Amino acid sequence: MRAILAAVIVVYASLVVATAQVRERDNGWMVPPNASAKQNPLANRPDAAAGGAKLFQERCATCHGADARGTEDAPDLSQADVQAQTDGALFWKISTGNSRSGMPAFSFLPELQRWQLVLHLRQR
Amino acid sequence: MSPRRIWSLLTALVLVNAAAARAQDSPYFVTYDHYLEEPGNLEIALANTSGMPRGGHPTYLAPWLELEYGVKGWWTTELYLEGVSARGDGSGFSGWRWENRFRPLRSEHRINPVLYVEYESINEASRIQKEIVGAGPLSFEPIADLRQEHMHELETKLILSSAISGWNVSENVTFEKNLTEDEGLEFGYSVGVSRSLGGLASGISCRFCRETLVAGVELFGGLGTSHDYTLRETRHYLAPVVAWRVSDRSTLKASTGFGLTEASDRYLLRVGWSYELSLRGRR
Repeated sequence: MRAILAAVIVVYASLVVATAQVRERDNGWMVPPNASAKQNPLANRPDAAAGGAKLFQERCATCHGADARGTEDAPDLSQADVQAQTDGALFWKISTGNSRSGMPAFSFLPELQRWQLVLHLRQR
Repeated sequence: MSPRRIWSLLTALVLVNAAAARAQDSPYFVTYDHYLEEPGNLEIALANTSGMPRGGHPTYLAPWLELEYGVKGWWTTELYLEGVSARGDGSGFSGWRWENRFRPLRSEHRINPVLYVEYESINEASRIQKEIVGAGPLSFEPIADLRQEHMHELETKLILSSAISGWNVSENVTFEKNLTEDEGLEFGYSVGVSRSLGGLASGISCRFCRETLVAGVELFGGLGTSHDYTLRETRHYLAPVVAWRVSDRSTLKASTGFGLTEASDRYLLRVGWSYELSLRGRR
């Protein structure tokens, strides 16, 4: 029992040290043209943005910050280069993630909820 | 230092470093999908398998503790500690497992492969049945005797998982090798289908509503061994599963597994609770 507890402490300590990692931006993360051209079906539903704001706080704020201005773990989503991307490109990036930069895939969320997140990002 | 003090210290360490983190939504107990733990997040899960065997054997409980950590976006590692208790028999520690999952592709595709490698140091009393491989029913000798029979096993899985129009479809193929005895390679499978019950998210926070629920079903079982390529006496289960995101940090899930063959237990009831923390220490 004592050996197991010691092992757990060692593992935990290693994990804390490992968390010093910083997520890096991946400039090679290219959106396929057909995905980029997709239109947001909620573009004319500004009322749906409130749900997007809630989802953002639940799913994204830990890394991107409550105001989406970024943290040392993930970029500022109000930046011009993010806002210059099409709705379809943002939807694709939210859906598919990027395992190299540490961005999780959110394809497990219903499609409409991912579009709500895009709607919310447009208000940053 | 007593074990109690060590556990208290561990708990304090986790809480000091913790910040809120999103909870993952997978409702499966056996099937793995392609969603890995976020880098820097630690998920602590407590779960239990309650088995109701055929043939008058006593019901049993097999609880386990799971510590899952996202090392990188493409690598998740996990430690399991498990136990067992049977009515009128006994109880005890049944072993530990160290699991690693690797996602080789950067972004999501139609089919997303994940490679899984696990080392198990368990004994014959292990009954959590996180995977089922090989053939034959569980052994119902006294737990004290079964705990004397230690095994070192290496398990690998190929996980294939897809997100299709709001559905998750996952297929796992399992290969297990007992390093202690020559039992050949043991094979198993698991298939799961699930989806979130939510549509458009409301702007108000809700604790128990459709958008916090995920439902599905999984089918899993053994596929014999390399010494005997038949399905004779293999165990198979069909299990509806449901997960409820209780809060941003925690998820409760449950399933009822129905044994489909004579070698299977009649029912496997599972319940699990997980709590997710960000060890990065930021909100």
